[in-house]
Amino acid sequence: MEPKKMEKIQEHIPAETTSADLGVQVKKISYILVVTRNGHMSEPVMEYAVNVADRLQYNIIAAHINTLPFYRDGGRRSGLFASAMQESALLFREKAEARGVQVKHIGDAGKIGNVVKRLCSSEKRIEFIVIDQGIRKEEVVSQSPVPVFSVIYTEKKAGLRNKATHYKSVEKGAIRMSITSKKRHLRNCFTFGILTAAVYAAVFLNQELVMAYFTKGGIYALLPVAVVFMVSYAHGNFTSSFWSALGIEGSKSTTTKPADIRKKATDVPVVKKDVRPRAEVNV
Amino acid sequence: MHGPVAEVLQFIDLTTYNILFLFIVGFIGGLVSGFIGSGGAFVLTPGMMSLGVPGTVAVASNMCHKFPKALVGAIKRYKYGQVDIKLGLIMGIFAEIGVQVGIMIQQYILKVYGQAGSNLYVSFIFVLVLVIVGGYVMRDAVQMKNATGITPSSPALAKRLQQIEIWPMLTFKTAGLRISMWFLVPVALATGMLAATIAVGGFIGVPGLMYIIGATSIVASASELVIAFVMGLGGTLIWAYYGTVDIRLVMIILAGSLFGVQLGAIGTTYVKEYMIKYVMATIMLIVAVSRFFAIPKYLNELQVTALADSSVALMTQISFYVMCFALLTGATIILVNLFKARSQEKAAAVPAPAGG
Repeated sequence: MEPKKMEKIQEHIPAETTSADLGVQVKKISYILVVTRNGHMSEPVMEYAVNVADRLQYNIIAAHINTLPFYRDGGRRSGLFASAMQESALLFREKAEARGVQVKHIGDAGKIGNVVKRLCSSEKRIEFIVIDQGIRKEEVVSQSPVPVFSVIYTEKKAGLRNKATHYKSVEKGAIRMSITSKKRHLRNCFTFGILTAAVYAAVFLNQELVMAYFTKGGIYALLPVAVVFMVSYAHGNFTSSFWSALGIEGSKSTTTKPADIRKKATDVPVVKKDVRPRAEVNV
Repeated sequence: MHGPVAEVLQFIDLTTYNILFLFIVGFIGGLVSGFIGSGGAFVLTPGMMSLGVPGTVAVASNMCHKFPKALVGAIKRYKYGQVDIKLGLIMGIFAEIGVQVGIMIQQYILKVYGQAGSNLYVSFIFVLVLVIVGGYVMRDAVQMKNATGITPSSPALAKRLQQIEIWPMLTFKTAGLRISMWFLVPVALATGMLAATIAVGGFIGVPGLMYIIGATSIVASASELVIAFVMGLGGTLIWAYYGTVDIRLVMIILAGSLFGVQLGAIGTTYVKEYMIKYVMATIMLIVAVSRFFAIPKYLNELQVTALADSSVALMTQISFYVMCFALLTGATIILVNLFKARSQEKAAAVPAPAGG
C-alpha cells in the first residue's frame, strides 16, 4: 500500500465513523463487518478490509449470508454455499493473519438488511460495513446503523495478482452457486412439458367443439389468441428448458457482455492509473 | 358468422403427413426467425395451401403462429440483453399503420387489375425488394467478414441521420443510439407495408434498423421480434374476428417453431455480427429466385405471355421448392455455426479449470 492512497482512505473513514468512539477504541477492539451473499467473497474486498483493519487496528467480522436458505433443491444450494463459505473463510483468515488482523467468521441466513441489522446489535463495536459485489447498497444502508462501503476494483487488479486462475475460481464458484443446474432444467422441462401436453390434449381431444367456437369470429376471436398465449407460455418454457437440459445454452462470453459494459460504464472511471480496491461510501 | 369469408371456409382434416410437415417447417422457420428476427413465414403460407388449406385460413393461421413465436424469441433474446423494447414497440405501432396502408394498396390493385395483377404486383415487389436489399446486405456481410480487426463503425447514412436534430428525438439505450422519430417512422411504415404485401416485414425492418437507424445486426434482429409480435397480434385479432384462424394448424406449427426459435436465439450469442447479415442475405436472394419462377404464371393469366400450362405448373412447383431450399440453407448455416462455435468455446474452456 502506498502511503498516498492510504491517506485518502483515512480522511474518509474516521470522519464518518469514529468520532464518538475514538477514545474507547484504544481499550476495546472495534470491528469491520464484511458482508457477502456469495459463496466466495471476492478477493479484492477481503484485501481492502484487511488493509484498512490493519491500519486502523480493527478486527474483522466476515459474514456469509445465505439469502436463499429455503431454495427448493433438496438443500443442494445450501450445501454448496456452506462448502464455498468454508473455503472462502480459510482464504480470508490466511490473508488477515499475514497482516496480524483477526477474522471472526459468521455464517447466517435471511435477508441481507435484516441480518446486518441483527449483527450490528448483537456483535458489539462494528464501526462500519464493507459489502461485497452482488449486494445492493440501498438494501444494507436502510437497515444499518453504521456507514456502509462498497469496494470498487478493476478486473486488471484482480487478474494481476494470480493471473486468470484467481478469477476463474471465483467465477466457477459463482456458476456453481447459481441456480442453473441441469437437474433444475430437467424438472422445468418435465413440469412445462406436462403443461404443454395438457393444453394440446385439451384442444385436440375436443377438436369439433374447439373449431366450432374458435371460428365463430367476433368476440370469440379472443379464444384462439388466449390459447396461443397459453401455448407460448407453457411450450416456450418447455422448449427453453429442453435445450438447456441438453446443455445447449447461450454463449457465456457474449451473454455476460451487456452486464460487463454496463458495469464498466457506471462503476469504473475511464481514466485511472490507481487500480487498487477503493471504498465507496453510502452518501 | 362475421363477413362473407367465414361462410365458405373449409378446415382440413389432419393426417400424420400434414402434422409432420407443419411441425418440421415450423421448426425450421422458427430457427431462422429466432436468428434473423423474421422469415420462415413465407414458406408456411404456400406450404399450408399445398396441403389444401384455403388461402385466407393459411394466411390467418400463419399470422396467428407468428406472434407467439416472436414473443418467445423476444423474451429469450431479451435475456441475452439484445432487445431494445422501446425501439421495437415504437416501430411495431407504426408498422401496424404500415400494414393497414399496405392492405389498402393491395385492395386498390386487386380492384383495378384483378387477382392475377395483384399476384404479379406481390411477386414484383418480392423480387425487387429482396434483390436490392438482399444484395446490399450480402455485400456488407462479405465486407465485414473480410475486414481485419474490429470495425464496429455504424453505417455512414445512419451516422448522418443521427446527427440531425428534429423534434421529437428518441433515445434507445440498449441499441445505444439517439435519432429523430421522423427517420424511424418511414422505416416502420415500410416494414408494415412489406409485411402486408409479402408476409415478411423483417426483410425491410432489419436492414432498415441496421443501415438507416444504425443499430447493430444483433440488436436489429432481436428488436424485429418485438415488431413482429406487435404486428402479428394486431393482424391475428383482425383475422380471428372473421373466424379464419385454424387453431389446430397454429398449435402444430408452434409446437415445432418454438423449439426452433429458442435454438435460433441461442445461435445469435455464438456467431459474429456479419453472420446474421450473411444468413439473412442468403435467404433473401434465394427467395427472390423462387419468386422469379412464380412470375410466368401470373403473366400467363394476364395474357402477356402464352407459355404451356405444364411448364407453368413446373415453374410454380420449382418456385415452392426453391423457397424451401432457401429456408433449409439458412437453417443449415445457423446450426453448423452454432455447433462449431460451441465446440470451439468448449475446447477453449477446457484448459482454464486445469490451471485454476
